[in-house]
Amino acid sequence: MGLVRHLAKRGVLLIVTVIFAIYLTVLIANGGGYIDDLLKGQIAFDLHAQLNNDRAYRLLPPEDQARIFNETYAARIEARGLNQPFLERTFTYTVDALTLQLGRSQALTSTDGSHSVALIIGERLPRTLILFTTSTAIGAVLGIWLGLRMARKALSIFDRGSTIASVTTNVVPPWVFGIFFLLLFAYYVPVFPPFGWIGAPAPPAGSGAWYLDVGWHMILPMLAFIVASFGAWSYTTRNLVLQIMDEDFVSAARARGLPERIVLRKYVFRAASPAIVTSLALALIVSWQGAIITETIFQYEGIGQLFFEAIVAFDAPVVIALTAIYAYLLGGTVFLLEVIYSYLDPRVRALNR
Amino acid sequence: MKSGLVGFGILASLLAVTVITPLFAPFDVVRQWSNVDYWQDNPRWAAPEWVHYFTGRKDPTNTFFDPSTFRSVVTRTTTILPDGTTFNLTTVEASKKFFWDFDDFPSELSAYVTASFPGATPNVTGQSPFIVINWTRPDKQVINLVTRSIPGREQNVTTTYHFSSSTGAAQGVIRKIQNWVVREGVIPEPIVNNASVQPHVALFAQNDSAQLDPARSAHLLRGTYQLVVRYTGFGLTDTMSIGLKIYGTVFGLAGTDDQRRDLMTGLLWGAPVALAFGVAAAVVVVLIQTVLGAISGWYGGGIDEAIQRSAEVFLIIPILPILIIIQLVFHRPGIVAILFVVVAFGIVGSTTKVVRSIVLQIREEQFVEAAQSYGASRLRILFRYIMPRVMPYAFALVALSVPAFIFLEASLSFLGLGDPTLPTWGATLGNAYNGSALYYGYWWWVAFPTLGIVYTAIGFSLLGYAFDKVINPRLREE
Repeated sequence: MGLVRHLAKRGVLLIVTVIFAIYLTVLIANGGGYIDDLLKGQIAFDLHAQLNNDRAYRLLPPEDQARIFNETYAARIEARGLNQPFLERTFTYTVDALTLQLGRSQALTSTDGSHSVALIIGERLPRTLILFTTSTAIGAVLGIWLGLRMARKALSIFDRGSTIASVTTNVVPPWVFGIFFLLLFAYYVPVFPPFGWIGAPAPPAGSGAWYLDVGWHMILPMLAFIVASFGAWSYTTRNLVLQIMDEDFVSAARARGLPERIVLRKYVFRAASPAIVTSLALALIVSWQGAIITETIFQYEGIGQLFFEAIVAFDAPVVIALTAIYAYLLGGTVFLLEVIYSYLDPRVRALNR
Repeated sequence: MKSGLVGFGILASLLAVTVITPLFAPFDVVRQWSNVDYWQDNPRWAAPEWVHYFTGRKDPTNTFFDPSTFRSVVTRTTTILPDGTTFNLTTVEASKKFFWDFDDFPSELSAYVTASFPGATPNVTGQSPFIVINWTRPDKQVINLVTRSIPGREQNVTTTYHFSSSTGAAQGVIRKIQNWVVREGVIPEPIVNNASVQPHVALFAQNDSAQLDPARSAHLLRGTYQLVVRYTGFGLTDTMSIGLKIYGTVFGLAGTDDQRRDLMTGLLWGAPVALAFGVAAAVVVVLIQTVLGAISGWYGGGIDEAIQRSAEVFLIIPILPILIIIQLVFHRPGIVAILFVVVAFGIVGSTTKVVRSIVLQIREEQFVEAAQSYGASRLRILFRYIMPRVMPYAFALVALSVPAFIFLEASLSFLGLGDPTLPTWGATLGNAYNGSALYYGYWWWVAFPTLGIVYTAIGFSLLGYAFDKVINPRLREE
């Protein structure tokens, strides 16, 4: 009973968190209402330019001109929903985002020219998913493997060297490595393609050549992401494993004469795995946001670049939709992990009392 | 502890740079950063000068000849014409001989002329002074670069004649040089256009068809060149001076960018900007989050819930997009505004959660119980007993989070949305990327700012790692 209540409470709190995050995003994506003024100004300016090009309009008396201008302006403002007060609209936006009615974009379009936000995101999402899921997975596996080896040879030259390599590379974001790799491997020694997610002209979609080409374009961004991310995994894994190795149950296993390999695999790694799985799940979700600068540098048309384009174009619906999807994903994952933990680990209940 | 010392050394070197920079490049230079005129005497896209140690090639540096270095002969005559009027004449012949000893072509070429002809009355035909600029090559060929009369509005104004197409040389000048190349039979007429014959290359090149290839493969003609100027004026007080600027392909310690800016200045000023922003943001954000985290862990209950839930909300919202929006909406308000936004959206966050869990451990300890038993107030226990125990962690977290803030500012500047007045490393990198530095192989433009950021980040990261080892004894090396 306590468990269910605890989970229900966590669930409600997470939903409240998601709602707040989305509402904040709505406020920010609209520049706190300031972008409304920009848009209105733009509409008035465009209308002026358009009407003044019209000879018939210019010949009208000033009061007719003013009337036509005001009527058209009001109609356009209404068409974009700008006539309602901003605060009121933030709630409609939030409810739409929460119910995942992504609506229509204001400036951006998909390659087919559609304004449907769902289509625009749907077009970009697979590219980001495949690039960043692969990179995160490889970076994590590589890092965890390295961390285990470091822990086993703790305090050796190898461990110290790897530790320094880990703590220094993981503070540097992938785009910095990316720009260096581009300089070296795309331009100085032109081995890899310097930009894009697929070559031009693209091979027929779905063919073997298409997959190869997509993979070929992924290598440099992937490399940059892996180099920037493995360090966090190796360093935390190393510390976690060393911490567990100090525990009594590991000493007991050793005292029973179990070979070190078995101790590591069956006792140490098993104890470490929940924390690692949690980090991995969260890292995957976070990576699905894409990366604004990394994607910009490689001109990889994924979610990160879409996010940036949407911001620059003041395309609030796209920004809000991306944040809402992400907030749901993150909230859902956190809740799922919470459920799993509560079942596996009775201490969690005690801690959350 | 060695890594900590290295980290400390890196930061000390950066601080030294911060102190020394104003001596080398006063802040005035930074204010000129976006002023094109200020940098006009530097070559464009120049590599660092020291590359010749690696290539073994003597790359041209800037070779400027002031008017004072020109040998000039002035003659003034007055003739009384049969009808009784006087006819005044001043001729100035200035020339400069120089030996071109470099292994490559210059990047640009220009001459600047200042003439003064107060006695002349421009509205009388034939009174406008006349100028001829010729280029004599080691192979005794002479190319006429300029032949024109100087209009009255150019009186006492320095007029620059550009001889390279990239700097907007007058079409007439380019045509003259190209016509000469054609006349020499080097290139058949139809192929000649601005792209195939680079004027500044043709002036220094051997007369063979290699010129048709892009600049680098034309053969350089080494030897003594001469620039000769003949000025003919129709007064008795006329003066004329000429200077010659031959721009190199290498410059300074870090090269130049597309706007001729000395990248070394930008790199040096990048250090204090990155340090100041990174440290200020990290200290303020981590301290606020630490205090709130400690309050959250110590008081518990509703306060705890409120702080932790808002931390989760703030963790969902990514800071970079927010900064991008604010920079766009408010037209890049400057680095202090960026700092304020970073602090405003960093009131609660991951540090709040870390510190809370630390405080949850500390509050079970006996010295807290002891303090409670003799009636210390909760606030007093928080600030006199618990905070001192939390501070070491806070220091480590400050050091560890500085790189993140440095890279945040760099990301923003890279997108062209940083402080518009400061030459930050990120902005230089962004300019390089947008200026196709990668494509053209201007590696210095990309490599140095990148190394600057990475060097700084590694310094803080090593320092943070050293702190980490001190507080978490398990990580200790002994």
